[in-house]
Amino acid sequence: MSAIRVIEIKKGIYEQNDKKAEEIRKELKSKGLFLLNLMSSPGSGKTTTLVSTINQLKGEMEIGIIEADIDSDVDARTIDKTGVKVIQLHTGGMCHLDAEMTRQGIEALDVEGLDFMVLENIGNLVCPAGFDTGATKNAMIISIPEGHDKPLKYPAMFKVVDVVLVNKIDAMEYFDFDLDLFTAYVHKINPEIQIIPISAKNAQGMEPWFDWIREQVAQQKA
Amino acid sequence: MHELGIMIEVVKQVEEAARENQAEKVEKIVLQIGEIASVIPHYVEAVFPAAVYNTMLEDTILEIEIIPANGRCLKCGKVFSLVTQNGICTCGSEDFEELTGREFILKEIQIS
Repeated sequence: MSAIRVIEIKKGIYEQNDKKAEEIRKELKSKGLFLLNLMSSPGSGKTTTLVSTINQLKGEMEIGIIEADIDSDVDARTIDKTGVKVIQLHTGGMCHLDAEMTRQGIEALDVEGLDFMVLENIGNLVCPAGFDTGATKNAMIISIPEGHDKPLKYPAMFKVVDVVLVNKIDAMEYFDFDLDLFTAYVHKINPEIQIIPISAKNAQGMEPWFDWIREQVAQQKA
Repeated sequence: MHELGIMIEVVKQVEEAARENQAEKVEKIVLQIGEIASVIPHYVEAVFPAAVYNTMLEDTILEIEIIPANGRCLKCGKVFSLVTQNGICTCGSEDFEELTGREFILKEIQIS
């Protein structure tokens, strides 16, 4: 029997993922395609927000959606009705997306000619924050019933996002959600984050969000 | 619980390193996991047999070293354990800079 050799690797396990993510980001830039990673807890209104965003923007840009779910296609069916390109990824129990899954989604969707693509991540505020998907920017949706203390409970998520949509503001009077306090908590973690209060259901306050997307799409082509 | 998918990725990386070093067998792998990393050592151990099933790591021993989570107090400069002191320095301040604890590293593999 041959002697045992010790090979020192000392490599972060996520390095491989980070490398893949960086490659995806470069490729998207060269294609002029803006990819947004959209994260939230379950039930915060991700799909409703997405549908209303698609309906507003589909006349001015080509849109594609990558839906990720543990094991269903209900969201993809809802998106499909808007007429934009959509693909459903099944993560098979995984609670987050990584760069490899983004790559599979991009290949399956046929992204030629697209301007704006959304990766709808698994509804979860913990795991998706830890894995770079290769998206150009990260956004999250929080809804009024979830409470304003979410930044204190899930700080990692607020470290990685560029924009936060505060959804269901039409339900504000029924819950003790303090928007000023929420804003202060968020900005203590990351002062760069843009906070946009909306009601996706009533199409209220959505204009700054649409403008943010338009700006990102233009920047990606610059 | 995302440890299984992550460990499958670890197995791939180990197999690649083993091939590069012309190994016949991987005797042991050593992982370093921070106390506040996004993977839990207990679960890593639990999913390991499933992750190595039908791979060249099927008989490999898994060893895990825990890296303590330490922070430096932004007020008094003292380094303290984020876990045992729950993020509060002995001086009473809760503002700290995270130094260690989120690592997830493939430290070494032992091959023959």
